[in-house]
Amino acid sequence: MIDAEAETVVDCDWHYQDSFKEVAEYMPEPWHTKYKNSFWEDSGVTQALSSFFPTSTGDRQNYGKVLREHSNYPEEPEDPERVTEGMDFLDIDVSLQISHLILAMGGVTADDERVQAFTKGYIEYMLEEVLDPDEGVYGLAPMPYGDVEASLDILERVEDEEAYVGACFVTAGASPPLGNRKYDPIYERCEEMDFPVVYHTGGSGLDEYVRAGYQEMIETHTLGFLESNMSQIVSVACQGVPEKYPDLDIVFMESGVTYIPGLVSRLDEEYLKRPEEAPLLDTRPSEYITDFYFGTQPLEVSARNDLLELCFDMIGTDRLLYASDYPHWDFDSPSIINELPMLDDDERRAILGGNALEVFEI
Amino acid sequence: MSDAENLVEVGPASEFEDGDAEIVQVGRAEVGVIRAEGEFYAIRNQCPHDGGPVCKGNVQKELVGEFKGTGKRVDQQYSDTDIISCPWHGWSFELETGIHIGDDRIRVPTYDVVVDDGIVYVDSGD
Repeated sequence: MIDAEAETVVDCDWHYQDSFKEVAEYMPEPWHTKYKNSFWEDSGVTQALSSFFPTSTGDRQNYGKVLREHSNYPEEPEDPERVTEGMDFLDIDVSLQISHLILAMGGVTADDERVQAFTKGYIEYMLEEVLDPDEGVYGLAPMPYGDVEASLDILERVEDEEAYVGACFVTAGASPPLGNRKYDPIYERCEEMDFPVVYHTGGSGLDEYVRAGYQEMIETHTLGFLESNMSQIVSVACQGVPEKYPDLDIVFMESGVTYIPGLVSRLDEEYLKRPEEAPLLDTRPSEYITDFYFGTQPLEVSARNDLLELCFDMIGTDRLLYASDYPHWDFDSPSIINELPMLDDDERRAILGGNALEVFEI
Repeated sequence: MSDAENLVEVGPASEFEDGDAEIVQVGRAEVGVIRAEGEFYAIRNQCPHDGGPVCKGNVQKELVGEFKGTGKRVDQQYSDTDIISCPWHGWSFELETGIHIGDDRIRVPTYDVVVDDGIVYVDSGD
């Protein structure tokens, strides 16, 4: 045996607890100011790590430019009272709550029960402490769709709960895509329960999902959510979910509206050349897709009004559902719908609330 | 039986094998006369998509799918319906009706075929 004290010892894994605050003082501009503005001093080690070397291509607060409270992930746990405060702020009467944390499930590839455990716990927590139909606070039940049996358990749990009005599939990362027959039992049950299926795009894995190498959030946020929804729309339509379950209400959330005409046009173009590959369809995919419902957020108010009008015409104003995405940084106020010049008042009312009350039977 | 003056002669029926197509001029239109499983069909040789020569495409049975129940794979089989596919882009039509197999609002004009005394004619409909 050697005498360690007399030997040269090398520790190959030592972690120096460096501080961004200290290191940033030595950084060149514009990085010095950019990161100094990104709340890295206030947010603790974990948050600072994320904003300095973000796991996505950007800081949701745009390096201090978006200053609104809760536009980023809060350090404190959510307070149920904030729901009604937020509803008051936006002047909203009914809200459908979607789990924030479950948005990351698309990145889970482990073959364990963490998603199932989370969703089951979330259902009970929301029922006990947050959802309140008397106050207009309803919920969408997240589906751990990778585990069909667990999803059916959740549907059974919420079936008689007035507070839950639909099922939520987080679309990012779903593999196989959500038109696959694997998910049929969930769709069948939802149809039987008259429970709309809400496909909600998610932020997890956007950088990998789109193109590795994007440098900024503007790139991944433009395409990631969009591509996630588009891939599921194509799968759900081509694999014939609307033919298999014709009474199932299908809702797609959080990608705006201008992508839809382009997608369905391209899909129809393919279909006319290759209809035998979608043998359950009786007609063009667009005929099914324009029967789906679409959340409006983030509505492309930057678009020319005549383009928005064309999109609204193609989708149908009876298929559009106002969504705020509050409190996320890019939330939409109801005024975004209310001030659209091409809508008449009945259409405004329908998009802002009437369509949703009907679809979700509230 | 159509009026003889409406008939455009194509040729002897005996010279057609299944899958053969003969193009004739019917008025201002090119029309393909096609034999499939012993039956004769006539369809305009112009795809409504891009003007391609539909009648030079393959004749096959239409592949159809049937939903066999929740969670089950869609059952895909060839039906009894003959289709013809434009060789340019694959738009496919029922041979008998000219209706696009994916959208029944799209149709290629079809014509009656008459076989009289071993000779194949297209009825121009005039």
